[in-house]
Amino acid sequence: MNFSLFHLLFLLSLLITHLSFSRVLADSHFEGFDAEDDETIEEEILDHHSIRSPPVTKSDSHPLTDLETQTEPDPNPVPASDTPSQSDLQKPSATSFEYWDEDEFEGLPVEQPPPEPAKDTENATPNDPDPKTTAKSQDVTVSKKSFTVEIVCGSFLIVFVINYFTGKRENENLALAWAAKFATKGSIFEKNFSLLGVGEGEDSPLLLKEGQTVFKFYASGRRYCQGLLATMELKSRHDLISRLFNLVVPCKDEITFEVYMNDEAMDQVIFAVAKKKAAKGMQKEVRDLQRFAGLVPNPSGRKWVVDELSVISESKEVAGDLITEAVLEQVFGDKAYEKYGKNFISMHFSDQHPGMHRKMLVFKFALPDANNMADMTRLVALVPYYIDLIGRYKLSSQARSKTETARVKAAQEAYKELQNARQEALQRKKAEKKKMLEEAEAKLSAEAVRKREAKERARQMKKGMPKMKMTRAH
Amino acid sequence: MSHNNNSTSANDPRQPSAAKPYVPQPVSPEDLPVDYSGFIAVVFGIAGVMFRYKLSSWLAIIFCAQSLANMKNVENDLKQISMAMMFAIMGLVTNYFGPARPGTRS
Repeated sequence: MNFSLFHLLFLLSLLITHLSFSRVLADSHFEGFDAEDDETIEEEILDHHSIRSPPVTKSDSHPLTDLETQTEPDPNPVPASDTPSQSDLQKPSATSFEYWDEDEFEGLPVEQPPPEPAKDTENATPNDPDPKTTAKSQDVTVSKKSFTVEIVCGSFLIVFVINYFTGKRENENLALAWAAKFATKGSIFEKNFSLLGVGEGEDSPLLLKEGQTVFKFYASGRRYCQGLLATMELKSRHDLISRLFNLVVPCKDEITFEVYMNDEAMDQVIFAVAKKKAAKGMQKEVRDLQRFAGLVPNPSGRKWVVDELSVISESKEVAGDLITEAVLEQVFGDKAYEKYGKNFISMHFSDQHPGMHRKMLVFKFALPDANNMADMTRLVALVPYYIDLIGRYKLSSQARSKTETARVKAAQEAYKELQNARQEALQRKKAEKKKMLEEAEAKLSAEAVRKREAKERARQMKKGMPKMKMTRAH
Repeated sequence: MSHNNNSTSANDPRQPSAAKPYVPQPVSPEDLPVDYSGFIAVVFGIAGVMFRYKLSSWLAIIFCAQSLANMKNVENDLKQISMAMMFAIMGLVTNYFGPARPGTRS
């Protein structure tokens, strides 16, 4: 990694120096070209002047050289030295250019000053429009070059960086507000679990931060369950692009409680409650709900959950047992749901949970604002209530027979699938081995081939023997 | 709910003996969500270098910044992000300090 970075940096610096060199070279080429152009133009002008008034030639050349030096800021001795050599054009030798350069260059500043100001004003006026127009054209090109892309992107980056820090802090404050309400001393989780937090010992930190939007809270040490893991998934407030995206596509802060139940504590229960649309989706997608359970229609003759919610269960009986009076009164009933149930998303109890741990209770709630954490109290109270309820619940014999048969079937199917998978893997290995042997054979010479064939015959003879043995064992 | 707890169990539901310390679940690298912004940053960066398009290089820098902000695992993600950043910066350098693009003056 370090070597590759260094390599990249080295290449980058090479690139930059190469580019800067090429630019310098290009400029110098332009210089030479311009100088040559000016040379030819000057020659013509000077010839013209020389025809009109011979004594003026030298003085004429001076303001022109001044203008030349003004327009070409690079201190290049070539153009300045050209004019005195041109004044000596009566001497036609082109090769004498270089020989005369330095001498003439030395003499220039002494002779020029007096005629300069006089001829400057005369020749300045006709030549003024030239620099003006050239300056104007330069100004125009400069003003055409706008910096909108740079300004827009730079400001976006600055706002992005500012938003990163403010969003990060907002998320942290929200997580800490939740922990302060439900996980600190005297709170509901402290009363229910003996071990709180993700570290070891007394001072363990309560929350574990995984990235800027995911916070985890762990609690353990309670009857009926091995532990509880609460995962808060917050909006991406730190990322400006996600924030803008969430203005269009709404998103919620969520908290998911996963309770790992003990094997002996949980009976064969598969049960879920969610909002109507979500419940349909869950019933079709989640494996254990799909296989074992179905949507339970609202039973008549007893109080039930609000119309907005629907229940998924293996049997009506189990559903009725789990939706108790207390729960209806507190959270899911008609009156209570209006006030306290708005943040409820879903709840799913299963002893055949797809994933690592089999017997799990999963609760999903929406997180309110940092200031309104108390709105969630009743929902959070559902968690220990249901741990106790499920921990004590025993199925009736009828319900158990139904669930038992379904699970046995499922277990058999799973076993068959495993067997098939193992057989396929074995067959694949055999095919690969055959291929290897064939390739090796093709490479070897004829003698080796004969040897191989003999070996294979012996192997097949041996194979013939154990086959019989295996069938006997069966 | 609290009175329910009291009525069903007069004693403490806590069992300190049953407490298990937290074991973070290992996540295999394939399960990780795809880093879209990093990928887009690389695409824009290459486009900016090849076609000498200034806006493309700037967009590459912006998406690199987003990818950096969303980076969860420092060791794994840094390689791709640094590659994207190299492309974007190279694009900007060639755009601003390189020879002029034909047809426009830089």
